[in-house]
Amino acid sequence: MRLHTAPRPWRQAAAGYGFVGPALVILGAFLLYPIVYSLWLSFHEWDGYTPHWGPFVGLENYRALADDEVFWRAMLNSIVFVVVRTPLEVSLGFLLALLLNRRLAARSLMRTLFFVPVVMSLIVVTIIFQRVYEPNTGLLNTFLRGIGLGAWAHPWLGDPATALPAVIAVSVWKNVGFSLVILLAGLQSLPHDVLEAARVDGANAWQLTFRMITPLMRPILALTALLSIIGGLKVFDLIFIMTRGGPTYSTEVLATMLYREAFELNHMGVASAIAVILVAVVLSIARVQAFVLPESQEWGTG
Amino acid sequence: MKDLPRCQAHDESRPRMSRRAVLRLGLAAASVPPVLLRSRTATAQIGGAQPTAPPTAPAAELKNPVELKAPKVKASSPTTLSFWHYAGFHVDVQKFIAEEYKRRYDPNLSLEITAYPGLNEQRVGVKSALAAQSPTPDIIGVEPGAYAVDVYTSGSVLDFTKVFAEDPEFQRGFWPNALELLTINGTVVSVPVVTNTVIVYYNRGLFREHGLQVPDTVADLKKLGAALNAKGITPVAYAAGEDRNHPIFPYYTYVGGIKADKLMREADLGLKPWTSPELVAGADFVEMMAKSNLYAKGPLGIKQPDAIQILATGKSAMLWGGQWMRRSIRAALPAGFDLGMFPFPAVVPGGHKPVLSSVGITLTVNARSKYPDLAFEMIKALTGAWGKIEYTRNLGLSPNGPISTEAIAYQMQSLKDPLYPEFLKLQPTGTTRVLFTPAVEEAMTQGMQALITGQKTAKAVMESVEAVSRKLGLRKFRTG
Repeated sequence: MRLHTAPRPWRQAAAGYGFVGPALVILGAFLLYPIVYSLWLSFHEWDGYTPHWGPFVGLENYRALADDEVFWRAMLNSIVFVVVRTPLEVSLGFLLALLLNRRLAARSLMRTLFFVPVVMSLIVVTIIFQRVYEPNTGLLNTFLRGIGLGAWAHPWLGDPATALPAVIAVSVWKNVGFSLVILLAGLQSLPHDVLEAARVDGANAWQLTFRMITPLMRPILALTALLSIIGGLKVFDLIFIMTRGGPTYSTEVLATMLYREAFELNHMGVASAIAVILVAVVLSIARVQAFVLPESQEWGTG
Repeated sequence: MKDLPRCQAHDESRPRMSRRAVLRLGLAAASVPPVLLRSRTATAQIGGAQPTAPPTAPAAELKNPVELKAPKVKASSPTTLSFWHYAGFHVDVQKFIAEEYKRRYDPNLSLEITAYPGLNEQRVGVKSALAAQSPTPDIIGVEPGAYAVDVYTSGSVLDFTKVFAEDPEFQRGFWPNALELLTINGTVVSVPVVTNTVIVYYNRGLFREHGLQVPDTVADLKKLGAALNAKGITPVAYAAGEDRNHPIFPYYTYVGGIKADKLMREADLGLKPWTSPELVAGADFVEMMAKSNLYAKGPLGIKQPDAIQILATGKSAMLWGGQWMRRSIRAALPAGFDLGMFPFPAVVPGGHKPVLSSVGITLTVNARSKYPDLAFEMIKALTGAWGKIEYTRNLGLSPNGPISTEAIAYQMQSLKDPLYPEFLKLQPTGTTRVLFTPAVEEAMTQGMQALITGQKTAKAVMESVEAVSRKLGLRKFRTG
């Protein structure tokens, strides 16, 4: 009778590499290589048309950005976008999830309705909201005039003071359904015995929500917030289509500035420097995950 | 190979109709309502007069009065040329011309057209292809201005020097002012398929109803605006929120109106300051227009479809926009809407009426194309004497050069647009609306937005544009 022996270590390793190899190649080609390429490019001058890079300029592109008030404006707008959008998106998503976690008559329908904006084409959403915000015949101003609040009618996207909030509102509307779905899934996986015990101990709905459910949901809330922050920092298409960063750079964010520098002003080196900064910021925030989210979550049972 | 006539010339081999008969045919095809406008005599800056077909009545089916010219070079084996551009609504007519060319002269040659959804997407694709030294696309659609400068100065595209030397007639078929916009470092780097103008559309019925007159000067326009505002009607819908150079339209208009185009061009190239009195006056004009209650509310929040909607719903009496909007406007207007157009009023007393003019997509050849000669022949088919008539007959945009009265009558059979001849009259009078230096164009766009929103003064805006221009130093290219 032949004895079963453990496979030799090198064979085990080869099998492992064989399985992850294709994924590593794809990651390397389409993620790591472009990141390293961008980093290298950020130290060069290049117009993007000629086949060869221009001269090595060291940190000049970064210095140019540091001196560029548009860059700081874009950085500030990106931060504002995230700081305003994320709490709104997560808190609204959480409220809706709490609501839809209850036994409601049209729960499935409402869940679907809240998720519809997530699956809608962004182009369609932006075109709809451009018309909604249009100052003269737009839905919002027409509605305001209709209910006697004509004084509040405003050129929402045409005024630098309101353009960014208007764009953020669209972003929240578009993405709140995504937060809702994640948080609802989290709520439904909470341990019923713990919640039941709390109820038996006399906890009212308020206490149950804020003393029990919210702490238990902390990892899911953190994950949702993290996804929203990263999505917010990378926002491009919504702003590019709605305002192209205007008027007067009032909605310019890092991603739209990157596009402008790369493809309109032909400063590929500067654009790469923005990309490197953006990646660094996103990666730093993603690392927060390690501190905020434990590797595994075990629902305590007392 | 038979040397076929240019568009303006008559083909002697064909049965000729009398001029009078042709005019009658064109008239009825056009179904033009009584023209209320008195004739415009905008001073031609560059270019000649464009004959137009007066309104008349159709009798027989007319044909394109010129022939598609045979190519000097043909494909020796099945060959496909690739062509990337960004104007989807041009594809049908491009396919038609390419098929006709294939059928008549070069059965081996096919044209594969890729129409990107917009200029930005196409430019990114082209940039990537050129940087990768790709021979595809063979034919590239570029915009006049910075885009054309970028592709040419990087050595990525070929110029038309040889083509024009071999076929001077082809060169003469274009409006000189259109080719001037595409001349970089002394050579023409691309050729336009069409031209178009920026004018003022107006609700003729509403003007009639309220006894209003088309304004001759900006002072008249302001009075007209006040009268309309008093009646609760917004004077002008202006899509300043549209991207590209829409926010700069008023500035170009003023500069064209005082004939300071050359000065603006020199400033664009860093040869003259942007802070000269004439160029600052342009910014003053933009500010004045924004403050004069002429525009529909929040112009920077208005895109082209919004502006069309404002006009079509009767909320505004006028729309300041481009010839390219004509079809969308027609589609949005309710039945019975009497649409008229006029060139922007004179910006200074006694001055001429400035019409912004530009070329639409322009065509050039990839320097690494495997079939440059075939690509140039295809461009000649698309933009030459026969092609331009077919092209604009389908789109209703203005041709890239003068065409004959017979050709206009032929086009009007299917165009059904009484305004088309009006556009043709204005095209040669056009003033430029192109900046060549990307950073300057960007500074101007932001500056004009700041003027419209009242964030900056005219002087401050032009100083910031000048600062950007000075930082760039002398440009590495020359234009015109």
